This record gives sequence, C-alpha cells and structure tokens, in this order.
Amino acid sequence: MAVHSLTAKQIMSRIRQVFPDAPESYILSLLNDALVEAGLYSTKTMSSKIDVTADKMYYDLSDSAKDADNNTLEMNKIYRVDFMDDDGDYIKIPRLLDGEVLMFDITSESAIEQPD
Amino acid sequence: MASNISLPEDRVAWFVKGNALGIVSTYSSSGTTRTDRKRWQAVDHAVSDGLLVHYWADPKKVIAISEVPDIDNVFHLALVDYIKMCLYMDRAGTTDGEASAVALQLSQMHRAKFDQAVRHFGSMRREKTGGVRAILPYNFQ
Repeated sequence: MAVHSLTAKQIMSRIRQVFPDAPESYILSLLNDALVEAGLYSTKTMSSKIDVTADKMYYDLSDSAKDADNNTLEMNKIYRVDFMDDDGDYIKIPRLLDGEVLMFDITSESAIEQPD
Repeated sequence: MASNISLPEDRVAWFVKGNALGIVSTYSSSGTTRTDRKRWQAVDHAVSDGLLVHYWADPKKVIAISEVPDIDNVFHLALVDYIKMCLYMDRAGTTDGEASAVALQLSQMHRAKFDQAVRHFGSMRREKTGGVRAILPYNFQ
C-alpha cells in the first residue's frame, strides 16, 4: 500500500474546514514558511559531492551554492564531512571546533563577505 | 581523480565560518615541512568530488497546489498545524474579546503541536555550527 502523504491541495482543504475564506496564495505562502521552519531541524538529510580546488580554504554554503554536478545544495546544517583519500574512498574528517586556524589562506579572500 | 592524502582523518579537518565551509590540511604535496604556526593550510591540490558533505537540507518550495511538500510525510500534518497557527493568530489580531482570546489559545495549541512534531525528530539547535561534532584535540607539541 502506498505511503499516505498530503498534496498542497489536500492541506489547503483541511485548512479551509476552519478558514473557508483564506486565499490560496496566502495559504501557499504560509506552507512555504512552514517548510523553511521545518527545514531547520533534521527533517531532510542530504549528501553532496563538492570539488576540492587547490589552495582554496573556504567553500560556499549560501542558498545559491552548488555541488560538483551543479545542483543547488539547499544546505541548512552540516553534520559530517568526508574527504577522498588516495584510494578514492571517502573518509570522515574531524571538525575544528572554533575554526580559528592561525594562517589565513590568501586565495580564499574572495570567499569572505566584504562590505560594499 | 583520487587525492594525494592517504590518511585524511589525521591530516584534514573542517569547520564552518559564516556561510562558508573551511577545509584545512597539514598535507603538503611538495613534501615541504611546515612549521607549526603554518601547519594548517588549504588543501594544495585539486580533487574532483573530493568532499562528501552530509547535511540537513531546506525542503523545496511548493509552487503549485498539486505538489506534495518536499518533506517526509510524517511532517505533513505538522504543516497543517503551522498554517492554522498563523491563521488563528491573524484572527486573534482582527477580532475582539472572547473570540480573540479563543483564537489566540488555538494558535498556541497548534504552535505546540507543530513544535512537538518537528523538534521531536530533530535537534533543537538552529544554526549551522550546531549538530554532531567530533573533537580534534589541540596539538600541545
């Protein structure tokens, strides 16, 4: 038996049981707000491959950031990172807690937010 | 193309700074010996698909009413609660007296149901620097 899920239309019909006059566009807007809120928690987990560039310290995590296949990452929170070893296998690498490395890589300056 | 690093777990580390993922390594492709104060630097060679990043993602936006929200179906009822929470809050602000108080109470009830459904499954930490972490001890040498 198929898994039961709700379409936006079915969600809307449930809402209109109580709020029959609520506009469709407003309900859709609130639905997307709810998805953003739910996305802050571990509701959708993903894994993406990113190309490593020589001498690049910082990799973009913004809403428009893309992976190696040019797909948008849509990233909220990283919980694990693996690095490819010399056999082509992915090995989990540790996390630096504060990220305060002593040497700042000069080629990564363009990745840092600057005032305009 | 595989990387040159045989033991990434010992020689590569990651961190998050603002909206960027920092990757640093103690490995030098040229075999140069680095002093301790310049030990951690960017990876010095390119690796195709070199990073595999695991993360919590943003669900995709719903545009048409025929779409199924891009989130596990166990959360679909929570979405209904969230929308009702907002609409009851609107009603509370546009009515007076008892009707407003009842709407406010119902809004809070749906808020509680949404929080219970969504947070129950995930961590309550909200920022990118939260989540599971492994500790890399400081090198006291």
